[in-house]
Amino acid sequence: MKSTDEQNAKSRRSRRPETVILFIVAHQMFAISADSVQELRSTDSLAGAAIEIEQPEFPKVRHTIERSHQTYYVVNAGVHFHLPVTRPALVLILRQLRAAVLVDRIERMAEISGVYPLPQAFTGEERSWYRGLAYLDDVVIPVVHPAGFLSPEEFHRLDRATKASVSQSEMESAVQS
Amino acid sequence: MTMAADNTGRNSFVLLHVGGKRVALPAGIVGELAPPVRLHTFPHTSPLVAGVIVRRGRIVPVYDAGLVLGGKISSSQRFYLIARRQLGKTIEWSAIPVNGECELATGEMQPPGTGRPAYVAGTLAVGQESLDVLNLEALVAAEAKS
Repeated sequence: MKSTDEQNAKSRRSRRPETVILFIVAHQMFAISADSVQELRSTDSLAGAAIEIEQPEFPKVRHTIERSHQTYYVVNAGVHFHLPVTRPALVLILRQLRAAVLVDRIERMAEISGVYPLPQAFTGEERSWYRGLAYLDDVVIPVVHPAGFLSPEEFHRLDRATKASVSQSEMESAVQS
Repeated sequence: MTMAADNTGRNSFVLLHVGGKRVALPAGIVGELAPPVRLHTFPHTSPLVAGVIVRRGRIVPVYDAGLVLGGKISSSQRFYLIARRQLGKTIEWSAIPVNGECELATGEMQPPGTGRPAYVAGTLAVGQESLDVLNLEALVAAEAKS
């Protein structure tokens, strides 16, 4: 059996300082590693580039954007975290994932001393949402897991559905012309 | 209040009020009674987990045990009883909101009556009262099911 002190020591050893972006969704603050964000854009600047998609299976994904000849899925963070509907003003375009995340606003960037593991009492979806918790300025902030916004399975299903939708549109256009 | 080691024998119990009900917990799993501190909340889908508190450099999950025992949501001004949960090979500290009135008692735990919920490990006679002794693991599981 591991004692709590041993676990704490191990946890302290595994904590490394890192720079995070603090963002707000429906008055809730979250942190995301700055390294996992490629770009920040206003939703206005993407308005013309975003393509609306309708996937009832994925209410959190209603748009795609094309970047570097790849389709990025735009995830509404409020819907993802089951928060009240807001009007997002910013998009976090993630690095190494074909996903972008709609958020209300950026609070600031900050350096955290490390990420505490999510207590095992948490057994729901949050285990995939969060890498762990940060303690910054006397506030506990969940540190999001970038890959938690869309699982590989969800990417696969979205790709398949989007491809089918594009094929159908092309077929309809061909019939009309 | 920190539980002294010599008070945490097999027949020692901490008596506390949870959800308006007086119950007992084995003293051996109780770490301390923590003063009211900030409850930090964030989105999650785990039933019964109200949020977390920070205590002695640890992030401790808070269980709204009162929802199972009395159906009452604890108020914001509250103390926390910090108890140990055994999760497989690891131990995790957990907090239960209480009203701050706790006392130690010794006695022989009797088996629970038939039909009692699984989170009742037994009963403890304290004066004229018969208190339920809680099984924290079963209580948390009960919450998850409810």
